Amino acid sequence: MRAKIFDIVIISILTLLSAIFLFPLLVTVTNSFMPSSEIITNYTSKLSIFDVLNGIAKKFINIKLLPGTLTASQYKEVLIDQPSYLLLMINSLKITVPVVIGNVLVSLLSAYGFTIWRWKYKEAVFLVYIIVMLMPLQAVLVPNYIVADMLGIKDSYLAIILPGIFSPFGTFLLRQTMKAVPCEYFEAAKMDGDNDFKILLNIIIPQMKSGLAALAMLVFIEYWNIVEQVVIFVKDYYKEPLSVFLSRISQDNISIVFAASCVYMFLPFYFLMIGQKNLEKGIELSGIK
Amino acid sequence: MRKNPFDFGLLFLLPGLIGFVIFFIWPFIISLGYSFVESLRFPMDKPIDSVFVGFKNYLDLFKNESYLMSLRNTLIFMGICVPLNIVLSLLAAVMINKVSRYKEIFVLIFLIPLVIPSGSMIFFWKALFATDGYLNYILSLFSISEVNWLESEITRYVIVFIFIWKNLGYNIVLFVAGINNIPKLYYEAATVDGAGAVKSFFDITLSNLIPTFVLVTIMSIINSFKVFKEIYLLTGSYPHESIYMLQHFMNNMFYSLNYPKLTTATSILVLIITILSQALLKYERRKSV
Repeated sequence: MRAKIFDIVIISILTLLSAIFLFPLLVTVTNSFMPSSEIITNYTSKLSIFDVLNGIAKKFINIKLLPGTLTASQYKEVLIDQPSYLLLMINSLKITVPVVIGNVLVSLLSAYGFTIWRWKYKEAVFLVYIIVMLMPLQAVLVPNYIVADMLGIKDSYLAIILPGIFSPFGTFLLRQTMKAVPCEYFEAAKMDGDNDFKILLNIIIPQMKSGLAALAMLVFIEYWNIVEQVVIFVKDYYKEPLSVFLSRISQDNISIVFAASCVYMFLPFYFLMIGQKNLEKGIELSGIK
Repeated sequence: MRKNPFDFGLLFLLPGLIGFVIFFIWPFIISLGYSFVESLRFPMDKPIDSVFVGFKNYLDLFKNESYLMSLRNTLIFMGICVPLNIVLSLLAAVMINKVSRYKEIFVLIFLIPLVIPSGSMIFFWKALFATDGYLNYILSLFSISEVNWLESEITRYVIVFIFIWKNLGYNIVLFVAGINNIPKLYYEAATVDGAGAVKSFFDITLSNLIPTFVLVTIMSIINSFKVFKEIYLLTGSYPHESIYMLQHFMNNMFYSLNYPKLTTATSILVLIITILSQALLKYERRKSV
């Protein structure tokens, strides 16, 4: 009986916490179905003539969980009336997709390399990977800029994509995940006379599916959310990805900001829904030694 | 382990390593050179006309007030965020494990903020924390005077809140897995020896989670740098003093094309992170043997 009550207390605490965590998302989704007039009334604090007549001296922004009237007009504006919005989304994809594919491939090979490499100083090399991984983005911007300039790719997406492909986080994550593959698998395959490449293909990759999926998702989220590099490398506004545009829209055009936000978060959200198991498993495996 | 680095491991590592060196290590070494010179003709790709000034840039930087402020703020911010995130996620993970029937749904809810792009949430945060925002509206109902959430000492804690909101889930996944990996036998043995719940939590749970702690710390450091995106989108290039971060300083140096200052700041950061990561890995090795 006491255990039951204890459970209920825990569930209540977690539910309350969940509600706080979900609130921002919930508001964004429900308000994306609000007519623009309602948004403007709720999210601006300028006094109207009626407020003054009613003797209201100060107005606050009012976050409403439920819209007074339901309408898809915001979505219509974002998806149909303003085609630029979808074009910018394609820009986001043009940056994100190559980075995800490239980074997962390179990281898989590198992580496997680190696992089977038998050089005395390999941990020292790996430490360099960890250090670069821990650096904030701003610290690697100058190096990135120098290289982009030398390669003559300063004004193209490649200046963002190539460093993304070789960024060390994936190698770190997958190497951790690879540690979870039992040693016996390696040894058994070696006995059978398989070469290293076959071992990677037939044994490691099938064992690491969730690790690979988790990495793909994490890299996708990161580059879908890209801001800093774009500000430096992308000068034409029609080449910008949605992430940067969105921060601007929230100042200029608040009546569609919620629908725009929802459209933008749909893909990563969808990936979380179909890949929750893999993401969790991948993160989990990286924590087990 | 051998002295000669050449084997199949290196072969697999090579594609990644070459890219890593080209895009991170080599340009970093070049930019390191900038930190020892002074030139009147920056910006340029190669500091021609530059004078070697030894450690002058380093000494100057330690007299530079905005640098010192940014360094101090970054350290304070990390000093709050990293431990707080670890404690809260561990608590949540313990609670989630106690009600394991609902594990999946709670973990999913806490993971959602991780995948939501920063740009999608900025409008909501602004509506919540603005001086005429919703939070102050609620305070006004209790006749509490307005709080300047985004431009005062409190801003630091607003950012801490957003950081926790975004990053709690990742650590929860790691801790939930870590706790589940501890053999139940240990707890049973402890109970037989007469240890209470609190004692077994400290003696068994915590001490068996050490590899997880190291990974969680690494991830929290990375993510505490990444929260800059939110700070930047919420408060711009010159925010309130309490959240003027190292990344602001680096960004502003980058835009004002002051590469010597920027690369000097980067070099110092590399030094700090090298010491930190060495210490972390040493700690892990000592504890897990």
